[in-house]
Amino acid sequence: MNPDEIQLISRCQKGDQEALKEIFDQYHQKVYRVAYGVVREREEALDIVQEVFIKLYRSIRNFKGKSKFYTYLYRMAMNTAIDHSRKMKKSPFLSLDGMEGFQPAEREERDPDHTFLRREQQERIRGALEKLPIDQKKALIFREVEGLSYQEMAESMGCSIGTVMSRLHYARKRIRELLGSYEE
Amino acid sequence: MKGSCSALSELLEKYFDQEVTDEERSLVDTHLVDCHACRDLLKSMEKMRDLVKAPVEEAVGEENFQWVWQKIERGIREEERPAFWETLQRWLQIPPLSKRRVWIPAAAMVMILFITLPLFFKKNPSYQSASVVEYVESATNNVMVYESENSKVTVIWLFEEPEMETPSS
Repeated sequence: MNPDEIQLISRCQKGDQEALKEIFDQYHQKVYRVAYGVVREREEALDIVQEVFIKLYRSIRNFKGKSKFYTYLYRMAMNTAIDHSRKMKKSPFLSLDGMEGFQPAEREERDPDHTFLRREQQERIRGALEKLPIDQKKALIFREVEGLSYQEMAESMGCSIGTVMSRLHYARKRIRELLGSYEE
Repeated sequence: MKGSCSALSELLEKYFDQEVTDEERSLVDTHLVDCHACRDLLKSMEKMRDLVKAPVEEAVGEENFQWVWQKIERGIREEERPAFWETLQRWLQIPPLSKRRVWIPAAAMVMILFITLPLFFKKNPSYQSASVVEYVESATNNVMVYESENSKVTVIWLFEEPEMETPSS
């Protein structure tokens, strides 16, 4: 970790919300990509981003710097997204509760057909991802969505590079089988 | 898939992920020149990656995250507001009740108070206070009349002889 990041984390550990804002500015897109990669729903992904940064503020005192900060954050983001995905499975209908301050994306308002097609596509991808074992799902999202290296994936997932490669291999094989009909 | 394809299949994924050494890359490049199946497999992996990744990038590009930060700030403020009991605890600087060194003495004190307090406030059985209304001396009998304040009873005490005092009401 570079000295600026160490100082930033240290300030955040002391409760400095400005420091958290700086961390948010640097990492919110990465967290959103992981979240959206898993749940494939904009509103859920935004909820996950919110939850991750609140959790981070609460738990950052436990971060000892043994791993890189972004792998720590990726792990938190992925686990939170997986939890949300499980809840979504149990209650598939979106609730409008707690949607205060919700602002639809500009494109959704301009192009409803595109929105509909994208939602349908996302449903199929989410359906296929849900059929994967959790570890394979994590490997696929980290690699295909976020572009992490095998080393970074191993740190984020807490396993060896060999295990990362194996999970990725079976995830890709299964996803090709599941989405194969969609491509045709 | 040719025999050499199965040998290279693991390498092919590493190649696709750009995790190969220069030597390994060279090996795969040479193989791909002649192997249609492996080229198709690479294309299929590329297509699958695009299916999984492109919508995510599109969603990120459309999103405005400022209002998300405002919700995070609000969420942190709500979490930081302590519960009433925590505020009281802090004010009194009492350790959490779950600690035995707190609740055992506290329970003992409550029991002691419960047992001893009634003793302090116990009323003595009150004799009905009475006030003498009248005392009459006569040749034959001395009479004392008194009334009880509480029960409103009038008692006429007839003194017959000193050793045979009997009340009659």
